[in-house]
This record gives sequence, C-alpha cells and structure tokens, in this order.
Amino acid sequence: MNYLIVGASSGLGRELCYTFAKNNNDLIICSRDLRDLNALKSDIEKKFNVEVETIVADLTSKENVKKTLMNKNMFKKIDGILFPVGLMFEKDKVNLDIEKIDKLIRANFSSIALITSTFLSYKKKGLIVGFGSVSGYLGRELNTYYAASKRALESYFESIGFENKKNDIKIQFYTLGYIDTNLSFGKKLILPKGSTQKLSKLVYKNKNKKLKKYFFPNWWVPIIFFLKILPLSFLVNFNIFKK
Amino acid sequence: MKKSQNSKVKLNSFDKSFSSDVFLKKPEKYREIEQFCKETKNIITMGSNYSYAPLSLSTDSLVLDIKKFNRILYFDKKKKEITVEGGTKIYELLNFTLNYNLWIPQLPGYPYISLGGAVATNAHGKSCGLHGTIKKSVKKILLYHKTHGWLNLSEKENKEIFELTIGGLGLTGTIVSITFNLTEFIFTEFLTKKKKISSISDIVKNFNVQTKKKRHMYSWNTASDMKNFGQGFIFESTPRKNSNKISKIKAARKNTYNFPICFWNKYTIKAVNKIYFKILDSKEKETNESFTSAVFPFVGKENYFKLFGTKGFIESQLIVPNYALNDFLVELEKICKVDEPLITLLSFKIIRGDQKLIRFEGNGTCITLDLVNNQKNQRFLQKIDKLCIEYKVLPSIIKDSRLSKNIFDQCYTEAEEFREQLLKFDKNRVYQSEISHKFKL
Repeated sequence: MNYLIVGASSGLGRELCYTFAKNNNDLIICSRDLRDLNALKSDIEKKFNVEVETIVADLTSKENVKKTLMNKNMFKKIDGILFPVGLMFEKDKVNLDIEKIDKLIRANFSSIALITSTFLSYKKKGLIVGFGSVSGYLGRELNTYYAASKRALESYFESIGFENKKNDIKIQFYTLGYIDTNLSFGKKLILPKGSTQKLSKLVYKNKNKKLKKYFFPNWWVPIIFFLKILPLSFLVNFNIFKK
Repeated sequence: MKKSQNSKVKLNSFDKSFSSDVFLKKPEKYREIEQFCKETKNIITMGSNYSYAPLSLSTDSLVLDIKKFNRILYFDKKKKEITVEGGTKIYELLNFTLNYNLWIPQLPGYPYISLGGAVATNAHGKSCGLHGTIKKSVKKILLYHKTHGWLNLSEKENKEIFELTIGGLGLTGTIVSITFNLTEFIFTEFLTKKKKISSISDIVKNFNVQTKKKRHMYSWNTASDMKNFGQGFIFESTPRKNSNKISKIKAARKNTYNFPICFWNKYTIKAVNKIYFKILDSKEKETNESFTSAVFPFVGKENYFKLFGTKGFIESQLIVPNYALNDFLVELEKICKVDEPLITLLSFKIIRGDQKLIRFEGNGTCITLDLVNNQKNQRFLQKIDKLCIEYKVLPSIIKDSRLSKNIFDQCYTEAEEFREQLLKFDKNRVYQSEISHKFKL
C-alpha cells in the first residue's frame, strides 16, 4: 500500500510515518522543508526497507498546493491520504491580520478539502484521515480562526463520508485534545496529554473502518458532551480550554 | 532572551549538583533550530541530559533539546560510514549498525546517551585503553551556530572548529549531525575473566602486565574497608562469537522516582560492598556476558544513583599518568585512611590518547570514585585536587561538577588556548552553560 501523509515532518505526522512504514507501507511524505523530509525519508528507508517519496508543499498557498500536490499520477498510485496538519498563530483573535486569517483557513481547511476532493475524483477506493481539534467545538476568546477552520473541516469530513457511502472510501476523523507535540509543550494544561505514538497506532488499526469519528484522548468525550448541552451564556464566563 | 513563560521546565544535572528552572525548546524541524536560535542571545544544546555536571544546562541560556533529531541520514556498508543526527541515542545507532556487524567501539557505559553529547564530551568507554575516545571514530560534523549558520567540520574543512567541537562541551554550537567511521564487529558476546585482588597495589602490577594484551580491562574495588583497602576484582573482557544474534537494546524506561534521602552511609556502603564482593567471588572465573551487560554495565543499575537521594552524588574521574600511578595510589590510600570518605564505588581502567584543549583524554590509568555529596567528602576531594596538581593528574570536568576554575586551569594546560580559539570563532560567546560560566570558557 502507498499513503500520502501531509504534514509529515513533525509531531503526529512523523509518528504516523513510522507506524505506517513499520507495517510495510510505502509513503509519500509532504511538508514545507526539504531538509526535514530528506532526513525522515532516509531514516524510514534505512530502518524499514520501504520506499519513501518527498513533496515540498505549502498548504497556506493555493497556487503552491495546485502546483505540488494536484498530480493525477500521484493520486492514482496512492491508497490513502492522512492530514496530520495544522497551523496556529499565537494571537489568533477576531481582529487577526487578513493574510494570516487566509493562511489559517487554507492550511487547516481549504487546502485539505482541495486535495481530498481531487483524490476522490480519481479514486473510488481508499482511506482519508482528518484531524480536528476540541477547540472547534466551542468558539472562545483565542484560536478564533483555527477553531473555526477545524470545525469546518469536521463538517467537510462528515459530508464526504455521506457522499461516499456507496464507494469503498474509508473516512476517519479524529478530534484531538491535548497531545504531546511541540504545540502543547511547556503549556499549563487542565488535562493530561495523549501520546502521538498511541494515536498513530489507533489510526493504523482503524484504517479499514468505513466511517468513524473519534475523540483522542477519549476523556474528552464527556467534556464535549457537557460543552454541547450547557448554555453558551453559562460557558462564556469560564475559560474552558487553555491553549 | 525572549522568555516565554510556557517553555520553562525544571531540570537537574545527573549528579544533582544543579537543579533549576530553565527555558527549554524542543525543535523538531531544521528551521526551528534556526528560528529558536534567532530569538535568543545565549543558547546551549541538550542531548539526553545524562551529563553528571551541568554541561547542557544554564539558567541564562535557552536550552535546545535536540532529542527529536535522532534520524539516520546516510549509511554506506562498504565504506563503513554512517551519518546520524546529534540527538540519536547510542542504542539507536547500535540497533541499526550491529545488523551489519559494525559499531563504534568507544562507547560510554550507558546506551541512552545521545551521540551529539558523546562527541561534545569526547566520551570513552571501558575499552578506552584499546580504542581511545570517540574522537577516533568521528569523520564529519554538521554544526549550527547562531552567527555562522550551518558549518561542515572535518579534518579537511574548518579543522580548527572541528578540533574545538569534539570535547568542546557544546560551546561551539549545536552538533546537528555526525558522520562516524564504523568498525567491524563480528562478535555477539564477551568472555569475561575475573581475577581477585587483595589491595590497591595489585592493580598496578596487573595493569602493567595486562596493558600489552589487546583486551578490555577494568576493575571494581572496595574503599569502605580500610583494612582491605582496594580489594576487589579485575575483569578482562574478550569479544566472542556464538550462534545467537545480539538482541536489540530496548528504549529506556521512564523512571522519574527519586529516593528522598541518601541511602548510602558508612554501614550500608560496607554491607552492600561485602555482599557484592561475595556475589562476584562466587561467580565462575570465566563467564559469558551478553553484549549489553558487558558494554553497558549501568543498564539495570540505575537505582544505584537514585539511592543517593535528592542531594545527589559526586563522581571524580581522574587520569593518572603511568609514571605517577604508584605514588598517587599510595597518597590516595593514605588520605582515605585518615578522612574515611564515603566512597560507594572505586574503579580503574586503562586509557590511551593525547590530551589536547579541554578534552578528558590521556595516557595512563583512569580512576573513578563515586562519593556521597557531603562536606566531609568535599574536603577529602579538595585534598585529591592538590594531588592532581602535584602528580599532573587530569580530573574530569564532565563528571566532577565540584571542580574549581583554579584546579581546572592548573590541570588543563591548554585551557587558555581553548578560550582564545573559542573567542576567535565566536566573539559574542553565544553558547554558554553553567560549566562554561564557572570555568570562564
């Protein structure tokens, strides 16, 4: 099997590369910096004896995504795409600079939608895995556009799940809480972090499931449940997510 | 330095002489190394943070943790060369190269040390009498320096910086990747012969005879029983081949538990030494040791260090020139008998190499002493410091965080040259640690 991993060079993306390669899958890894990709490619090829191709792409630019990732031949040869990708800005509030808003929405939603739609136009069989965020469940004073684009992404994944119910397309969507990546490193968090290693194993284990939504770590399930049923007027007085 | 509150982490040196909140960043991408360095005035790089002395820590510098830089970048079996990133642990390298019957022989006694750290400290192992220090295996280094950017270092390229970087305590920049010349290793285990010795003078006799043989030699001696000071065993290991494969070395288990008080005192040291002596005595004269237990004797014995409690311990490692060994040992025994320090470990091995700059290297006998960290032992070690100057003994600044600048300057004759060369290379002296502050490096 051959999988495209977008956002492969660090955190969850890197972990997914190792998990899929360990299970004898060839990879196409995609990220912004060729140095990181070459290092990862070399390590994986030497340790697991699989083939790894690299693509340098910038999801914040529509033109770049079109140029680098909209490749018919590549889509034909891959069996699935994983999007362990996300862009965050520290001062992501309502009045964020318009260029940054555009970048956030592109990297977290529209580029993923563009790549996925193109993949689906060539394939009626395969795996698509998206990653959202618990922050997408409740807008708050920070991560405004990040949260909004992650909520949009979840909705998009639900839609492609419905649209492809008759095809052999497997859709997984993981809503992530705190996980042990650089984004959460050193931050004072109200709940423990989940392990990227565990998550990547879970993604691999579930790769043949038709349509599935998960929360990771799963202790977020009751929290999200309460966030959904509590009135917004009550919630605005509490800083529920500290990120 | 831009101090963002969210990356402050409490860290301590392995000997617990230093414990403080430091500003830590964990780059995972090449551009993150560049970016984090841009944001700050002073930096120091951290591998696995297993240095006894605080070489990779500082309250005034950004600590750059390069654990995630642990990939194999290049491997050529025919040329016997490998390039790995600086955060690669020794066991990760060996788990790969031993599949091809290759290794680097200069391996420190713990496999979870990073290779960048091993190069920055010019590490050596039990076989340092045979193989010298890790410098012998280093072919090339890729260094990142805040001001100079990316630099290739080797005997042919930037030779001066190459020399400064090996054993340079990370003060020339971040060792991002290293190319090693690998050595063939067709064996699978070690045959270890033991010899009982009754006194410290026996070591000199045995080491003089054994030096000519091409084997790994080290000793374990007791220093808690003054009547039988130095009694113990000399071990001689020879690699052997059997039909089994070397089993993979597992990743370290996370163990953050710290024993609250120091377990080691006059009575416990005596009792544990006696028991350990009896155990060793009851063993066969020749035993087969697995690769891991022979090369990495500290694996599985981590609790020994934890038993020193929250105050930690002092390790003094000394290279005694052969011509002075007899006299030095006589003096050492004398001081021990008067001061009765709490020594939990005394060990000897042969070491070979040329001492340059601030590298812990030389020709002679390498003596290791582990002591409880208390005032009595500090006073005892001050006497040893004086002996170091008298007998031209080289104390390790990597192991002994207690050493003063004065002793360092007197024992390391090229310390000033190192300072000058480093300043010439890096006028702003960007890379600083607690140790560099102390020794004004």
